[in-house]
Amino acid sequence: MSDGEVFVNQGLFWPVLLIGLLLWGVYIWKEWPQRTELRFWIKLIIAFLAITSLAMIVLKPGVWEKSSNGKGIILTEGYRPAQLDSLRAIYKRIPQEEYVTGRNLTLLDEADSLFLLGHGLASFDLWQVAEKSVAYLGGKDVEGWTQLSKNDELVLGEPFELKAKYINPQAGHWAVLTDNGGNPLDSVPFEEQAEQNIILRANPKTSGQLVFHILEKSEGEILSDEPLPIHVVEGNSLKILMVNTFPTFETKYLKNFLAERGHEVLARTQLTKGKYKFEYFNGASNPIYGLSTDNLQDYDLLIIDTDSYLGLGSASKLAMEEAIGSNGMGVFIQPSESFFTQGKGRTPFNFNRDFSTEITLGKSKQPLQKYPYTFQEDLRTQEVLVDSVALAAYIPIQYGKTGTTLLQNTYQLVLDGDEALYARIWTQVLNSIAKEKDKEVEWEGITAIPRPNQPFEFELRTMLGDMDIISADGANIPLIQNSVMPTKWTGKQYPRKTGWNQLRTSQDSIAPFSYFVFDDDQLESISESKTLETNQREFGSENTFTPSVSETKNGWEPISPLWFYFLLLFGFGWLWLEPKLAP
Amino acid sequence: MGAGDIKQFQRRWQQSIYVEAILYAVGFAGGIYVLTHNVIFGIIALVVSGAITIFILRPWQVSQEKAVAYIDAHLPQAGYSSGLLLSPTHELSNLSKLQQYRIAQQLQPVLPKLTPPHRLFRGALVMFGLIVLGLAGSFVLTKLGSRSGESPSNKEQITFAPKDSLPTTTKVPELTGTKISIQYPVYTGKATQYTTNPNIKAVQGSRVVWNLEFEGDVRTVQMDLMGSTFDFTKTEGKYRLSQNLEASGFYSFTFKDNSGNDYVSDLYSLEMVTDEPPMVQIEGLDNYSYFEFDEDKSLRFNANISDDFGITDAYIIATVSKGSGESVKFREEKVRFDSAIPKGRKSLQLQQPLDLDALQMDPGDELYFYVEALDQKTPSPNVARSETYFAVIRDTITDEFAVEGGLGVDLMPDYFRSQRQLIIDTEKLIADRPNISEKDFKFRSNELGFDQKQLRLKYGQFMGDETEMQAAAGAVSHEEGEAEPGSEEGGEDVLDEYSHKHDSDNEHNLVEEHDHGNEDQGQEEEEDPLHDYLHNHSDPEESTLFEKSLKAKLRDALNIMWDAELYLRLYEPKKSLPYQYEALEIIQEIKNSARIYVHRIGFDPPPIKEENRLSGDIENIENFDKQEAYTYQISFASTRAAISRLEELIQGETSFSDSDSALFMDAGNELAQKAISEPLKYLDVLQGLRDLEKAVNRTTDNYIMVQKNLLSVLPEVADNPKQKAKYQDEINLLYLKELGLYE
Repeated sequence: MSDGEVFVNQGLFWPVLLIGLLLWGVYIWKEWPQRTELRFWIKLIIAFLAITSLAMIVLKPGVWEKSSNGKGIILTEGYRPAQLDSLRAIYKRIPQEEYVTGRNLTLLDEADSLFLLGHGLASFDLWQVAEKSVAYLGGKDVEGWTQLSKNDELVLGEPFELKAKYINPQAGHWAVLTDNGGNPLDSVPFEEQAEQNIILRANPKTSGQLVFHILEKSEGEILSDEPLPIHVVEGNSLKILMVNTFPTFETKYLKNFLAERGHEVLARTQLTKGKYKFEYFNGASNPIYGLSTDNLQDYDLLIIDTDSYLGLGSASKLAMEEAIGSNGMGVFIQPSESFFTQGKGRTPFNFNRDFSTEITLGKSKQPLQKYPYTFQEDLRTQEVLVDSVALAAYIPIQYGKTGTTLLQNTYQLVLDGDEALYARIWTQVLNSIAKEKDKEVEWEGITAIPRPNQPFEFELRTMLGDMDIISADGANIPLIQNSVMPTKWTGKQYPRKTGWNQLRTSQDSIAPFSYFVFDDDQLESISESKTLETNQREFGSENTFTPSVSETKNGWEPISPLWFYFLLLFGFGWLWLEPKLAP
Repeated sequence: MGAGDIKQFQRRWQQSIYVEAILYAVGFAGGIYVLTHNVIFGIIALVVSGAITIFILRPWQVSQEKAVAYIDAHLPQAGYSSGLLLSPTHELSNLSKLQQYRIAQQLQPVLPKLTPPHRLFRGALVMFGLIVLGLAGSFVLTKLGSRSGESPSNKEQITFAPKDSLPTTTKVPELTGTKISIQYPVYTGKATQYTTNPNIKAVQGSRVVWNLEFEGDVRTVQMDLMGSTFDFTKTEGKYRLSQNLEASGFYSFTFKDNSGNDYVSDLYSLEMVTDEPPMVQIEGLDNYSYFEFDEDKSLRFNANISDDFGITDAYIIATVSKGSGESVKFREEKVRFDSAIPKGRKSLQLQQPLDLDALQMDPGDELYFYVEALDQKTPSPNVARSETYFAVIRDTITDEFAVEGGLGVDLMPDYFRSQRQLIIDTEKLIADRPNISEKDFKFRSNELGFDQKQLRLKYGQFMGDETEMQAAAGAVSHEEGEAEPGSEEGGEDVLDEYSHKHDSDNEHNLVEEHDHGNEDQGQEEEEDPLHDYLHNHSDPEESTLFEKSLKAKLRDALNIMWDAELYLRLYEPKKSLPYQYEALEIIQEIKNSARIYVHRIGFDPPPIKEENRLSGDIENIENFDKQEAYTYQISFASTRAAISRLEELIQGETSFSDSDSALFMDAGNELAQKAISEPLKYLDVLQGLRDLEKAVNRTTDNYIMVQKNLLSVLPEVADNPKQKAKYQDEINLLYLKELGLYE
């Protein structure tokens, strides 16, 4: 027994007691003339009982119970009716409830052990069953797209790549990637198999917030259309320093290529001892004689030939390494035959001789000339693949990178008229090496598929300290700072509209963060498979109840008032019938 | 009095028939008009159908008798006697007069009310039916028409729409007349063409004049052609603009009304057809013709010339090259066709014999000639020429070989002379035979055989197979030495004595000459005499001195030389002679085909002061600075920006602004440049962009459509290294730093 309250309506105890006693008193007074007879005393007891039961109906007494609440079934989307039927056959009269995303389950009041059927609860609703014992039984297999992974943000000119997984594809159907206008960009036919992994590629033609689409088509009919939001940004031009001991065609063409494409290039070629030819393109200025931390500060990329690289004085070398390590500058070494035969320690790279002086890229018929070496594989060497051929490699050195290539005489491509390939090779090689611009803030959406009126969690990494996040409708969103990493913050928002939504910071200099909110009928299969995964992770894939929660609980349970009604009826009945039966 | 009434009735009857006929005619004409939208057709249809229906219905056939019969039948008051009214009173009997009077009295009130029999109702029905039919027909036609010509350029009328939404009260000026005249260049001989279709296709240099007439007040009218605008001039209420057609493109009209509202038309194409240059073909002649010097050296050919608008002139350009090597001379001559060229003909067939002798060609000379034709295009005519044909008079006499100035090495040394010398000597030997002793004859024959071998060996060197040949030569030489009485030394002396040193004179040659005897000295001196000047030719297969066919020829020549030598050694110079000739011919062919002309390139270095040379003094050398700036813009920058902007408009975050208008205009101009080559592909896009100028078209659907079209024609972004932005997390940095430490 508990020391606490006994009645539900504890506050009414005294009035009810008084009224009850008064009623009883009145009854006693009324029956007083019969006090000599036995029936007086019987009626007195009966009346007491009736009045007590009346009082009990009002006061609702409770009982401290130690019994369990029993089992319940939660149905979520994608449950198997057969499974439900068999459950119901075993547990008769088991309560069930259909789960609606975001709404509280009422079943939880009466059930402690829950069978969870279907794909499961949304991740943000899992808290509801945190205290309960859940047997997750799973649901129908998800069909259709279950995975669409892509680069959300890319620089204009970079290829867009979509890796997708389709469960249960139908032969004869096609997956078509279209741009934001609906023009097809790439497609893959489906094959009859359990699941198909496909890769679709395209080059975005414009910058901005675009929504590509992946369609499933069959004979011109669109069966499904899923949006693929991407953000294409325009990259910045590079600031490049080229240092050469003597002029080569390779340098000349590379210099022209970079200068014509708007990069700020300072090319230095040695004429004779201490005399140089300086070429300033697109606003470059200030001649550089010796490398120093100061004059390398602004450069994103240093292109240097082997002789210059090996002939750097110790001060220059130190300055260069400093610029790579702490500034993030990229260094590209233009190789010559002697570069490959340098001893260990002279260059960061190690090579293996492979005796082949030609390499063929993708579709091009013309083989490219290369030095007869390959990169030695080691932990730090990162190969740069162009058409899945390792043409170049770089080594990350702290913040920056040092890279080189195996190719020689690539200017031959320009002479042969294949300028596009030339541009492609050098773009990929230099892109991988050049310094990346510092961003002040990094946003990341944690919620994979944001939907309207559902929580969207996001993460913010910044050194700038606390900042105000303002949603599109002007509301201020509070952030939680990570206790271990003070630069990491998380926040949550409930977007209202579908499509692109924005989060701004109070600082104007920081670009707003855009995220795409999907409609309820978009990316359904992916949502489902994600929910399935989350639930499996949460509850395990075995069909047993989670053991962590005890199956029984103690608690107050009000006594059913029905008993009191019966008692009252009996009492009133007796008191009514008794005078009539009395002789 | 009564007769008048009847006449009137008759007239009414006739009139109703006329009206019926007119109804049919109007119905038919209306139908035609609605169908064709052409007033003239309507009027013609009206007149013709009116005439036909009147002829069929024949209203003049309604006579007085017919009227009387009708009145009698339909009016009981007439008492079947209305005919009496027509008869003059004095011709009637009294009773008849009475009756006439009575009927006249009775008919007077009722007759005007009597309606003659008519089918006006039917006529009206037919009329409306025909017009409705015409409407339906025109509807079907436009439906079909719009399906067959999907591009908006097929609109045959200029239509304007306001740029911005207008208050409803504004009275919109209307384009009432469009006249476009296209004046073709005079030389085409085409008449000026008048049209209302603003999509123009004309020959380059045509003059296009637009005449626009407006109802309502118009302030300025402009034409927007590929980004530049031209103002119309106003004369007598009409707006007029003329332009010379010099490039394909797109254009549209804009005009401003008095209240400052802008109106813009659709986009129309202006297609320039270039005047094709004439086509010249020569028939009945091989590209190369060879003549022997004693043949009839004349060429005969047909020249077919055709042009799209007419040919002005045609002639033959003949170039004669004389001489060889450095002394080659060219002489160009313009040869007129014998028959006069009629000006302006579209196709010509000309025949012309070309006599090489008349061109003063000698053996060994070469003639290159082609036919050139000019068309009538002004200011500068299109010129076309045929393929070049060659004619050569074979030369068998000159074997002179000059050292080519352009070549460092004389690849064709004087060995060639030797074969001819051998022939001459052989012939001389044959001629001398009766006069000389047997031994002498045999000796000389053998000697010639040796020279023949010598020659063969030298050619063998060109083939790169001297080793093989030398071994053989050594053997022969040895035999010979033995065959000759005397020691080996003596044999050598003999060879020295009899070898024709002057034959293999090397004074013009850079090639080191082998001494004949050296061959006997064995393998130690196997050095290739040409070694210094050639690539490695030691392997005959890798010899690149001559091309494949030449090698084969040379090999043939060497084999033939073997035979020539054989017969000389057998003291049968007569039998040897044909082989020698054959060898000579082949060698000559080789020589001719290997003729190379190289331009002499001279470089005169600036004089350097003697005292400054190689002093190593770089004091006066300075740094060289060069500054250059390129303005790089991504291809189709405005178009790409327009697409991004359209995306924003589609999202509905912002609404159309003035700057958008400018942006879309820029994008349109960018694309228009490209559209010239493929107008059909781009017209939709350009039209879509242009449509966005009009306020009514600024709908999301339109934005989506335009964006889709833009994206479909836009090329991909050219590769260009770009700087990416990246957030450097401190933990990340820490990790990279640690990684660097434990490398």
